[in-house]
Amino acid sequence: MNMSRIKMWALAIGFTIASPILTQAQPNADEGKKLYEANNCGSCHALDKKVVGPALRGVHERRSEEWLVKWIRNNKKFRESGDADAIALYNEYGGAAMNIFENLTPAQVLDIVEYIKTAPAPTAPKTDSPVGTVEPQTDSSTKYILLILVVIFGIVLMVLGRVKNTLRRVAAEKDPSEGEFLGDNRKWYLKMLPSKLAHMNPTVLAIFITLAVALPGAWYGYKFAITEVGVQKGYAPTQPIAFSHKLHAGELNIDCKYCHSTVEESKSASIPALNTCMNCHKGVQATEKYNGEISPEIKKIYAALDYDPQALPGKEYGNNPKPIRWVRIHNLPDHAYFNHSQHVVVGKLQCQSCHGPVEKMEVVQQWNTLQMGWCIDCHRNTGIDAANNNYYAALHDKAAKDLKKNQNNSQYFGPDGKVKITPAMNGGLECAKCHY
Amino acid sequence: MVDWSVLSATIKIEKHEMSNNIKYWKGEEELNRDPQFLADQKREFGEALPLDKALSDEGFELNSNRRDFLKYFGFSVTAVALASCYKTKVRHAVPYLVKPEDVTPGVANYYRSTCNSCSVGCGIEVKVREGRPIKLDGSPDSPISKGGLCAIGQASILSLYDTERLANPLVKGEENKDWNSIDGDIKGKLAKMSASSEAVVLISNSIHSPSTLKTIETFTTTYPNVKHIMYDAVSYNGMLEANLKDFGKRAIPHYNMGAAKVIVSFAADFLGTWISPVEFQHDYSVNRRPENKDGMSVHIQFESNLSITGTNADHRFPMLASKELAYVATLYNYIAKVKGIAQIAVPTNSELAGNSIEKAAKILIANEGKSLVISGSNSVEVQRVINAINMLLGSYNSTIDIQNHSNQFKGDDNAIQNAFDGLNKGTIKGVIFYGANPAYNHNKDWAAAIAKASLSVSLSSTKDESAASCQYVLPDNHFLESWGDAEPIKGQVHFIQPTISNVFNTRQAQETLLTWSNALPGNENDPFAKKGILSQKLEAAPYYLFLKAFWEGRVADFNKVLEIGYVSTADATSTPASYAGTVADLAGAVSKSNSSNGIDLVLYQSVGMRDGASGNNPWLFELPDPVSKVCWDNYVSLPKSLAVSLGIEKDDTVSIEINGVKLQNVPAMVQPGQSNNTVGLAVGFGHTHAGKVGGSIEKGFAPVGVNAYKFMSATRSMVVNNVTISKGDDSYPLAQTQTHHSIEGRDIVKESTFAEFQKNPKAGNEKAATHIYTIWEKAEYRKDGSPNHLWGMAIDLNACTGCGACVVSCSIENNVPVVGRDEIRLRREMHWIRIDRYYSFANTQKEMFNGASYVTEEDKVSELDAVSTKDTGYSHWENVQVIHQPMMCQHCSQAPCETVCPVLATTHSSEGLNQMTYNRCIGTKYCGNNCPYKVRRFNWFRYNDNDKFDFHFNNPLGKMVINPDVTVRTRGVMEKCSFCVQKIQEAKLKVKREGGSPQDVKVETACQRACPSNAIVFGDLHNENSEISKLYKNERSFGVLEQLNIQSSVKYMTKIRNTQNN
Repeated sequence: MNMSRIKMWALAIGFTIASPILTQAQPNADEGKKLYEANNCGSCHALDKKVVGPALRGVHERRSEEWLVKWIRNNKKFRESGDADAIALYNEYGGAAMNIFENLTPAQVLDIVEYIKTAPAPTAPKTDSPVGTVEPQTDSSTKYILLILVVIFGIVLMVLGRVKNTLRRVAAEKDPSEGEFLGDNRKWYLKMLPSKLAHMNPTVLAIFITLAVALPGAWYGYKFAITEVGVQKGYAPTQPIAFSHKLHAGELNIDCKYCHSTVEESKSASIPALNTCMNCHKGVQATEKYNGEISPEIKKIYAALDYDPQALPGKEYGNNPKPIRWVRIHNLPDHAYFNHSQHVVVGKLQCQSCHGPVEKMEVVQQWNTLQMGWCIDCHRNTGIDAANNNYYAALHDKAAKDLKKNQNNSQYFGPDGKVKITPAMNGGLECAKCHY
Repeated sequence: MVDWSVLSATIKIEKHEMSNNIKYWKGEEELNRDPQFLADQKREFGEALPLDKALSDEGFELNSNRRDFLKYFGFSVTAVALASCYKTKVRHAVPYLVKPEDVTPGVANYYRSTCNSCSVGCGIEVKVREGRPIKLDGSPDSPISKGGLCAIGQASILSLYDTERLANPLVKGEENKDWNSIDGDIKGKLAKMSASSEAVVLISNSIHSPSTLKTIETFTTTYPNVKHIMYDAVSYNGMLEANLKDFGKRAIPHYNMGAAKVIVSFAADFLGTWISPVEFQHDYSVNRRPENKDGMSVHIQFESNLSITGTNADHRFPMLASKELAYVATLYNYIAKVKGIAQIAVPTNSELAGNSIEKAAKILIANEGKSLVISGSNSVEVQRVINAINMLLGSYNSTIDIQNHSNQFKGDDNAIQNAFDGLNKGTIKGVIFYGANPAYNHNKDWAAAIAKASLSVSLSSTKDESAASCQYVLPDNHFLESWGDAEPIKGQVHFIQPTISNVFNTRQAQETLLTWSNALPGNENDPFAKKGILSQKLEAAPYYLFLKAFWEGRVADFNKVLEIGYVSTADATSTPASYAGTVADLAGAVSKSNSSNGIDLVLYQSVGMRDGASGNNPWLFELPDPVSKVCWDNYVSLPKSLAVSLGIEKDDTVSIEINGVKLQNVPAMVQPGQSNNTVGLAVGFGHTHAGKVGGSIEKGFAPVGVNAYKFMSATRSMVVNNVTISKGDDSYPLAQTQTHHSIEGRDIVKESTFAEFQKNPKAGNEKAATHIYTIWEKAEYRKDGSPNHLWGMAIDLNACTGCGACVVSCSIENNVPVVGRDEIRLRREMHWIRIDRYYSFANTQKEMFNGASYVTEEDKVSELDAVSTKDTGYSHWENVQVIHQPMMCQHCSQAPCETVCPVLATTHSSEGLNQMTYNRCIGTKYCGNNCPYKVRRFNWFRYNDNDKFDFHFNNPLGKMVINPDVTVRTRGVMEKCSFCVQKIQEAKLKVKREGGSPQDVKVETACQRACPSNAIVFGDLHNENSEISKLYKNERSFGVLEQLNIQSSVKYMTKIRNTQNN
């Protein structure tokens, strides 16, 4: 590489870095908002409330811009430089040090300050206003309307029926041939049958009807017993905390394994302990959505842990905790052993393969039947990555040899012409792999 | 189709081709071809099914009419319809609030600790799932347990979840939850008594925990009127006093069985119950492998009862227990004669044990310095002679270490007697019990004596016999909830750490004593104390602070030591023992012993119950006695001669009387190997305050067995001379598992002698599988098996002592239910692994060392004379030999069970496992019927949910011990050994996740893990370097019923006895 190239690159990089600074002479509140969110300031600060760190509104009045830049970018260095205010602030918050943000340029820090300066003040929580708000239409009223309609139509039907009968009687009086049906004294159910059937031998008819009803019934019952009883596909119970996977896993894009942290080492993915929630929710309280109040759902976490959000940092949970009783959605029977780590680490499956698009579910539901047939189908058809796991070396050799010999007649013949080994080929359908 | 003519021809061939001609038998019934027994053997199950009735005309006459039929039909249809409307129960999941960092739900943690169920102090490894201990195993780093753990230690985990434990302190029988007020009361009383110098005695069991001794020292310093004494239910006082006299040290020496090439034991059951059985079993078994370069050890046992140790001996000689001193004196004299040292001046009784004592003396002398002589007697005289013999043989500092002595037993028989007298006379005003229960296991009336005390406190965790009479019962923690340490052998320090927080409102006894001494360390410096209960850690316990303070400075890294559970503080400099004893003064005592007459009652500790401290543990009651195979009761074991003269037959009872103490209608049993003129009876049974399993008078549960401690005299001797014994007027069928199956004269076990083995390693196993006959088409599982694994097991019959640790371990690991006495009588025991015990008659020649001349032909058995000793040293019945054979599902590659299952509930895996799928099983029991090993168990009841089986499985606390990885079976299914498939799967998965090779998979089955003598080896036969692959190629290995060509996956190693011919 010659020198001119290097210079050119250096210039390009220089421009890239400098461009926001050059183009942005004035602090920009919109940029500041983005930075505020990108750097997760909100996990420790709120605008109007003391959380882990102080409330931020009016900070530009309390401190100089220069002071703020130094503090925010590297408060540790700042404190070590001996700034009395900085040390005082540090001590006020019980020695809970703020993170270092040297990735922010001074201009960016000022953007954030600008955002804080201009952020709209919270609207005061609404008290009982004399002007009544319109209650949203509830589903139950629709139900009543429908019921009333059914009753009205019923009455209309009855009246029409009577009218029809009367008319017919009148007609019969005029012309007796019209009235042959009036004298029909057959049983009601015979009247209902088509005329051909009505003339059949009653025994044959009875057998015929019994078979016609019983056989599909039995078939349905059989199908029902196998596919429905105890199968909870679609089961989406209301949970004690309205936790939204859509928000957390979908919009915020938090990795499943962040909360379900044992999925790679244990048989159970485990419902996270509440201290996992508190990693974020010590700071994130969704006050912006609830008029400055802490979200009622997040409050449930605090209540469970007996945590006082006003408490100083470093203060632990209280002495009256109440564990949360989540409703279990995926209930395998006790005689079936399932191991998450086997499937996630060894089988390299995505969570969604079995649990469905959880990241789109507001309320989590059971996506698959979790029946044995469903397990077996997958064990029969899904290839395992035998080539990259030393454990399967012998199996892979065997398969490769077989494939070479028998070509596309080999059971190991995959759609891409390469070796395909399914769990079934490694004993994955044997009883004692899951039942013991 | 099966060609039956060929099959019957096979059986004939089989008989001719038995590899040795020894006649084995499992019980008297089988030996004598008892007609009832033979009839029973024809049936698969103990109870006859009411088929006759059903098939008779009466059975076919329907009592119900058409209307009833319609009713039942209608009901069934409705019931089914309603059942399908069943709404699935809403199940909850409750996660941690704050997850402890070291806990991963679904993954077990292992912690090192020390077993406290007896005072041996084995290092253990505790398996904990989600904060709940579920399994105990031996710690490989502990020099006491060496990786093994006995049945009692295994079972002790259940006493943690025992509903009989006190949930709160008791004050005068009433529950009182307030420890502070109780502490205040007792401290006040103690201070007052101290001021007026009123004596108080603290009675404990043998304590070897340095920190506990320090605690007690602190307590007795605070209250100088308190005296601490130690008391053992089964006393080692004789040995302790003998060593005090001879070595100036009141201590039990540490025996090194591994260094002993010759062991002569006089009724010391060192493989079962004597001092430190787990350690002894391990070290003993190392020398019992014939493949060893320096050969096998010789073990000679003299005893009255047939103990588990006796069953493992190369030579076993019956002994009249009350003449033991004469026996050991004779041995001393033979050795002294050779050494040219003065003998004990008594005429040698040549009638004692034929010439066997002289021969034993010769073998001992030939192995000087590598030999060991021990005695289980509690007589000071006997132990002094034993000391003298060992001194002559140079055993000290080789097989015996008196410098780094044992601390395991220190009880003082005089002290407990004095304490009782003091309480009774009123010279002792207060008593505190800690780990001791003399009201149960001492022969005096303690209830009355305790009542006289002005302060009586028990620190027992249950309301036991002594606690029942105490004013205060302040429940101690279980050892799995406690901090502590142990020093079973001087310099071998073990540690105890809690693996669960307190289940009940209990408090560690040491903490209680420290509280009263005002010496409890405060926890102001505890970093967790102020952070709320979610942050609390067990390290905040006051006794932890005391323990840590005690050991800091003595060990380098306290946390590291806790992690390993063991640290050696041994002093390397060991000075030779200075023997200052003499036996010259014992002539009179020997003469007296030699002239004893009458019938001896020989009390013993059973392997499952030992001294009875775990007297409410159903697993231990259900464990068949290793020798008699009796479960649930103790019984009088009679020699055949006495049974004949008293007219005792099966299910009869006897009454025993001595010095006014009488037990009536005790179940009796003829025990082959029982010496003539002796009867045996196990202590440890007959609790009156144990609980619903072991017996509780208060709660209306009948005691299990009888309390034999009543017969013990003040000298605490286990041998009681001159008992009167008579036939009882009641009958009592014992629950005995031994005769539940029949061997039909087949070649199930194989044995040979060491001399033969040296000539040919295949000795005894030469004719293995000479005739292979397959009654099924060859199902070649192995050909199309997994390339990764093929599981197999090998069991060394030479190393297996029959102790039963594996049986309990298996039950815990695999959630095997306890079924109780009545079900066992119906042959419905559920153990997945059993230990078959085979008797054979040994030679009865007077020349005892003249090689094995076994009784071989069946028809000769009836000619054996039960009583007469004619020209021989012993009668046949006194002189049996035994082989123990663990038997579990053999995982046959061509399994007979698999071919008969109509619903494919039992199938074969590609890794060689015989799988049992409970949910497919419809309970036809065809598989059990077709299994030649009789290892399949039918689950008759829903034991986990049936209050008729009120053991532990039916209550929420007892269920805590259930292994969450193993299905709890419901009724109506077959079950059997799975080769611990859950452990296999776990081990495989670990390697798969790490991307290791299949050879890296290491699995230890529960039975293997428990075995103190490493008799069981499990592994992968596809791994050519594995131990199992080597054992499969061993010349001694054979498969049971190999001739059927069912290709079992379990191999056994021929039993080799080191019988001496010269």
